[in-house]
Amino acid sequence: MQEIVSKGKSLDEAVQNGLNLLNTSKEQVNIEIIQTDTSGFFGVGKKPAIVKLTLNNQNSVTQNQEMSHFNLEDWVETLSEEITTYEKDGIAQPQENVIKEDALKGKAWIEDGKIGVKNSSERYPSVSISTDVFLIKNGEEITNQNTILTEEDEVKIKVEEPIIKETDWNIKVEEQGLKVTLNVQPGQTIYKHIVDQEPNEHVELMAEETIEKTNTLKLEDIMLKLKEFGVIYGVDQDEISLATETLEESTFVIATGREPQLGEDGWVEYKVETSSKKTLVENEDGTIDFRESKSIPSVEKGEILAKIHLPKLGIPGLNVMNQPLPAKQSHPVVVKTGNGVIEVENQLVATESGRPSIETRGLLMKASIIPKLTHHENVNLSSGNIKFNGDVEVIGEVEENMTVDAEGDLFIHQSVSYASLTTLSSILVKGNITSSTLEAGKHNMLIIELGHILRNLHQQLGKMLIVIEQLTKTSAFKSSDFSINGLQPLIKILLEKRFKGFYTQAKQYKDIVSKGESNLDEEWRRLAIDLNQTFLSLSNKIIKMEHLNRIMMSMKELADISDIPVEPNAQITISEAHNSSLYCSGNISVIGKGCINSKVHAGGHLHIKGILRGGEIYGRLGVTINEVGSRSGTKTLISVPADQTIFINKALEGTILKVGSVSYKVNDTMDNVIVKLNHNDEIVIEPYGKEQSYA
Amino acid sequence: MLEFTFIEEDDALQVWLKGDLDIEGTEVVDEQLLPKITSYSKVNIDFKEVPFVDSSGMGLLINMVDEIKNTGNTVTISNVRDEVYEVFELLQLSEIIGEEVFV
Repeated sequence: MQEIVSKGKSLDEAVQNGLNLLNTSKEQVNIEIIQTDTSGFFGVGKKPAIVKLTLNNQNSVTQNQEMSHFNLEDWVETLSEEITTYEKDGIAQPQENVIKEDALKGKAWIEDGKIGVKNSSERYPSVSISTDVFLIKNGEEITNQNTILTEEDEVKIKVEEPIIKETDWNIKVEEQGLKVTLNVQPGQTIYKHIVDQEPNEHVELMAEETIEKTNTLKLEDIMLKLKEFGVIYGVDQDEISLATETLEESTFVIATGREPQLGEDGWVEYKVETSSKKTLVENEDGTIDFRESKSIPSVEKGEILAKIHLPKLGIPGLNVMNQPLPAKQSHPVVVKTGNGVIEVENQLVATESGRPSIETRGLLMKASIIPKLTHHENVNLSSGNIKFNGDVEVIGEVEENMTVDAEGDLFIHQSVSYASLTTLSSILVKGNITSSTLEAGKHNMLIIELGHILRNLHQQLGKMLIVIEQLTKTSAFKSSDFSINGLQPLIKILLEKRFKGFYTQAKQYKDIVSKGESNLDEEWRRLAIDLNQTFLSLSNKIIKMEHLNRIMMSMKELADISDIPVEPNAQITISEAHNSSLYCSGNISVIGKGCINSKVHAGGHLHIKGILRGGEIYGRLGVTINEVGSRSGTKTLISVPADQTIFINKALEGTILKVGSVSYKVNDTMDNVIVKLNHNDEIVIEPYGKEQSYA
Repeated sequence: MLEFTFIEEDDALQVWLKGDLDIEGTEVVDEQLLPKITSYSKVNIDFKEVPFVDSSGMGLLINMVDEIKNTGNTVTISNVRDEVYEVFELLQLSEIIGEEVFV
C-alpha cells in the first residue's frame, strides 16, 4: 500500500503536489483531507492544507515505499508553517530530485570518472566502450565494444597510463661559428580521463586527452654544452633563460659572433670626359649639318685624368669561440698605363695632349692618351698612305688606291674613292664613298670569334679534367708516371678520340690568334702559346694538373671578356656609298642618299635612311631601311639572324629578304612592313605604323 | 716489371703479358715485344696477368696496335680484367684502336 501526505497553500495544490510526488493521476488515488487551509489574520494563525493520498494501484511507484513507514501523526507534527522546512530531515526529497531519480530509471551516466546506474524493470542501460578505456565488470575486463550494466555490478573504469615525453633540446654552432642556436622541444604528459555523460539509456564510455607541457631544461645543462663547444663569446643570457621557460617548440639564438665587415674594392674616379661617341646630326629639314658633329673630348699635357681610390680593408669578425673571422679581401684597381699616361700618387696624369681613352674591365683598367693626327690635304700619292696609332682627321679627300689606317676615330671631311679605310674605332665620312672598303672595329669581331671558341674549349677541358680525376680514382690506374712524363701521354690519348673536337678547336684558336696577332692583347696570345704547348705539339714540357687548371681559368677570363657587348665606339657613319664594302663590328648608319650596289655588314644594327639599290646587306642586330629594291632588277638582298627583324618603309618587287636561313622574294611592292620569323621558322610580314619606322 | 711469354703457331703468335703495363714497361714493349709481334699475321695478347696500367702504358698499347695494323696483320686483346677495362672505357680505347681488337 502506498500513501503520501502532502500539503499546499490550498487543497488543490496539496493534492497536486502529492500526485506529482507519486507520479500518478487523480484517478489512481484516494484522497483524504487532513486539514483545510486557513488564511489567518495578517499571517498569524495561517495554516496549509494537508491531504493524504493512497494509491489504488500497487505497481506504479516503488521507490517511494519508505514513505509508507512514516507515522502520519509524527509527520504532521514536523510539518512547519513554512514550506521550506520540508527539506529539513532529508527523508522527503525535494520534488525535483525525486522526479530526477525517477527519470534515471533504466539509465546510466558518467560523472567524475565514475559510472552510475539505475535499474529498471523494463530495460538495462547499455554502455559502449571506446578503445582507450577499459571497463572491468565484476572483476572481468569487458572486451566487447558494448555491454549492459545493472546497479548490482561492481564496475571499475580504467584509462591508459599518462604518456610522458621528456624535454628535448639540442645546440648547434652555425655559420662558421657566427651563431649558436638552441632548439627546445618542451616535454609533455598526456593524461587520459573519462568524459562525463548525461544519464541516458545508452552511454558512451570514452576518454579525452589533456596535455600538460613541461620544460625541464636547466640553465646549467645549456652552459655545460656551450662550454663543451668552446663557446665563450656573445652568449645571450636572456635568450637562454627564455629557452628554459618556453612551453612551445622554438629555436633560440643563444650566442652570436661578430660578423666581419666587408672591405671595399678600389675604384676609379674620372676627372675628364672620356666617352667619344661621335655621329652626324640631322637637321630638322633632313639635311645633315656636319659642323654640328660632336667634338672629341681631349686633354692637355699635365691634366689629371682620374683619381684611383684605394681599397678599404674589411674588419675581421669574431666567432663565438672567440676566434677571428677574416674579412673578405678587397682588391685594388690594377692600372695599366698606356701611351701618354703616368701614375702619380694614385692619380693618372696625361703626359701628352690628345683624346683620353680609359677602359675598365672589372678591376682592370687601361688608360692611354690617343694622339690625333690632322691631315690638312688630300690623301694621295704625294702624302702617302696614312697609318697612325691614334685618331686621324683628313680635311681633304682620300684618293684612288690610298689607305688610311687608324687605331682611333677616323674622320674624313670629303669623299673617299677607290680607297681603303681601317680603324679599331669609328669611321665618319662626310663625302661620297665610291668603290672603297671601310672596316671599323675589326678587333672586336676577332675577339667575339675567339671568345666563342674559348667557351667551347673551356667546357671540353672541364670535362677532360673530370675524366682525369675519374681515372686516378680507378683501382687499376697508376698515376705514378705523371711525375715523370707529366699528363701529356694521357692528354694525347684523350685527344685521340674522346676529346677529338678539342684538338681541332684549339688549333683554330691558335691560327686565328696568329693571323690577328697585332690586334690582340698579350693574354690572348699567351693562351695560344699555352694551348699549343699543352695540346698541339709534342713538347717535352711536363704538364701538371695545376697547369691545366690555369689554362681553364685563363680561358674563362678571356671568354668573359669577349662577352662584353660590342663597344659602341666601333661604328660607321656615312652619307652615301656606291659599289663599296662596309664592315663594322658595331652599328652602321647611312644617313644620306643611301647605298648603291654595296656590300654592308654590321655587327650591330644597320640603319639606312635613304635607299638601298642592289647589293647585299646584313645587320646582326636588325636592319631598318627606308626604301629598298631596284627597278632595273639588280639583285638586292637584306639579311638578319633568325631572331632579328627587318623594318622597311617601302620594298620594291624583286627584293630578297632573308631571316636566319629562310628567304623571301618580294613579288609586289610593299609599304611599311616588318619582317621576321614566327615560331615555325616561317617568314611573316606584318604591317606597322609609320611612326615606328625609325624606332 | 713487365714480362711476357709467348707461343708461336705457324704465322700466329700468342702473347701473355705479366705485370703492370706502365712507364717502366716501355723498354720491354718497344725493344723486345714490338719487333717480335709485327712479323706474325695473327697476334693475340692476353691481359689476364696485367693488374695495373698507367697513361704511358696505354700509349705503348695504342702504339703497338697501330704498328701491327699498319703491317696489315691482325691483333686481338683478350682476358682484360674488369678494373683495367674500366680504364680503357674512360679513355675510349676501344674506339681508338678498334672495337674488334677486344675479344
